[in-house]
Amino acid sequence: MLPRNPYWLARSLAHGAAVAAGYAALGLSLLITFEVIARKLFNFSLQGVDEIGGYVLAIGVSFSFAYALLHRAHTRVDVLMARLPAVLQAPLNAAAMLMLAAFSLFMLWRAIETLHETLEFGSLASTPLQTPLWIPQSLWVIGLGVFALLTSLLALHALAQLVTGRVGALNRDYGPRSAQDELDEAQQDYGGSVSPTAPATPATQGGDAT
Amino acid sequence: MIGAFEVLIGFGIMLGMMAAGIHVAVAIFSVAALGTLMYLGTPLLYSFGDTLWGTLNDFILTAIPLFILLGELLLRSGITERMYSALSVWLNRMPGGLLHTNIGASSVFAAMSGSSVATAATIGTVALPAFAERGYSERLALGTLAAGATLGILIPPSINMIIYGAITNTSIGKLFIAGILPGLALAGAFMLAIMAFSLLRPEVAGEREPRVPLRARLASLVDLLPPAFVFAIVIGSIYSGWATPTEAAALGVVAALLLAAINRKLTLSMLHECFLSMARTTAMIMLIIVAAFFLNYIVGILGIPHTLTQWVADLGLSPLGLILALVIFYLVLGCFLETLSMMIATVPIVVPMVVQFGFDPVWFGIFLVIMMEISLITPPIGMNLYVVQGVRGRGSISDVMIGSLPFLAIMLAFVALIILWPGLVLWLPEAMG
Repeated sequence: MLPRNPYWLARSLAHGAAVAAGYAALGLSLLITFEVIARKLFNFSLQGVDEIGGYVLAIGVSFSFAYALLHRAHTRVDVLMARLPAVLQAPLNAAAMLMLAAFSLFMLWRAIETLHETLEFGSLASTPLQTPLWIPQSLWVIGLGVFALLTSLLALHALAQLVTGRVGALNRDYGPRSAQDELDEAQQDYGGSVSPTAPATPATQGGDAT
Repeated sequence: MIGAFEVLIGFGIMLGMMAAGIHVAVAIFSVAALGTLMYLGTPLLYSFGDTLWGTLNDFILTAIPLFILLGELLLRSGITERMYSALSVWLNRMPGGLLHTNIGASSVFAAMSGSSVATAATIGTVALPAFAERGYSERLALGTLAAGATLGILIPPSINMIIYGAITNTSIGKLFIAGILPGLALAGAFMLAIMAFSLLRPEVAGEREPRVPLRARLASLVDLLPPAFVFAIVIGSIYSGWATPTEAAALGVVAALLLAAINRKLTLSMLHECFLSMARTTAMIMLIIVAAFFLNYIVGILGIPHTLTQWVADLGLSPLGLILALVIFYLVLGCFLETLSMMIATVPIVVPMVVQFGFDPVWFGIFLVIMMEISLITPPIGMNLYVVQGVRGRGSISDVMIGSLPFLAIMLAFVALIILWPGLVLWLPEAMG
């Protein structure tokens, strides 16, 4: 029903947004470090670092929701589901996606309403920076919009798979992650920094340090 | 107002939705929305937009991605193997040898990374081959890995404590400081148990390790400096009042960045991998937190803590009886729910009630974290059991479960200890002022 291309596009967009959120967090860390040192040693404060930190979280997270979704990272409980036959798992997986889509659309709707009120009253942050709140809130709404769009597309896809009876594909694409999945990912992620055979004799390795 | 029976039905609906595989955040939000619509009306439901902004724009919660980033940077900065070797040089002459290193390395590593899965995966990969060669009891070795990795959420910095503190308005700095003594005491208890086992049944401990000359041992201390350095910066800045937990996390990120650069592991692709991991984990946690903050808000307006307190008082439960009931409640819940979800979904309802019964919220936070550690190694779904089994890659999961049982028993005894002697938890944070 859905061509492959939109997924590729969505994946690279979500990937890019997540990396951008990382740079924002890194920049924030440097800024805060500077602030803490300046405050303690030189009695001088930048003002408003905490406010910026709040915006980084709000905008970064709203854009990361979609990335987490593509990696099936949003938590589900699989203890009961794993014991059900595939035919019963399929409608539950589709239902979970539909409800997640409904939740994300509701979040988007209420967030737009919050932004709307901000614009109407021209609200400023009650902080030294007096940031016009519509600036961070607009980016926040866009991030939530991307998440809502993606969940809706995936929910429709899951529904189509259910209706056409492609149970196996549905469970593979939208089933909850198991502990084994978590582990595979962790080993893939951190495997590079650890070699399983090298330190098999830790004691002698410690001796090598001399 | 709402009765205790309705509250229990609502809780049952939430658990039912989770069991049916609905996303945890959606299940939490759904019962909050249901309660709002039934008792309070749509305008309050529509206020969700403001809750959403208020929660996501909270500088306290900014500590979550920063601590995750700190852990990711350390995991990839190449200090794990050398840290394991250095610890083994110091710990392996005790009866039980390398088993102590598992506990020590896992606690240090889990405290830094904040992730039990990453800890069990990394330490397990480094450690398991060595045990097979040296004739240790495999079950006990597996148990030390699964149990050791749980200590990370108790020893600061701990994401779980940040979340608990943010939801309940408890000082995160105090929670961090309060976790230090229990964390060390629990690690010490694990090691004592290993020693006792090894003395009673020498065959579990394998060959005795060769003695390492003092000079080599002292030299190996260098490899323990990086984790100690980061820990000192993060916890020291909080304890001295120099920095808030969020600021301490940022200092830690910069320190970890320096370490990675010194070890020549800092590359653009390494940095991007850290970012992606951070984004994924933060988004996963924050989606649940957003729902939980709304539930927290609605639960307060509905007066549910008061209702439940009344109900428990009518049952004639003493404060001690309530805590024992909660021990059982969390043990049972831990058999069904993923650990973090279990905490976030119950804290809005349970904490105001226990506080009314006179318990200190810092103490209860530590109690709850230990209950979460227990659920990480409780069959049938304890996550660490499966992760360690996955690293092992052969045999049956029941070996890991049996090997973890002694440590499970120690943790339960430890819960009894902090109930009888709350000072173990509260002494350090109170000394901090």
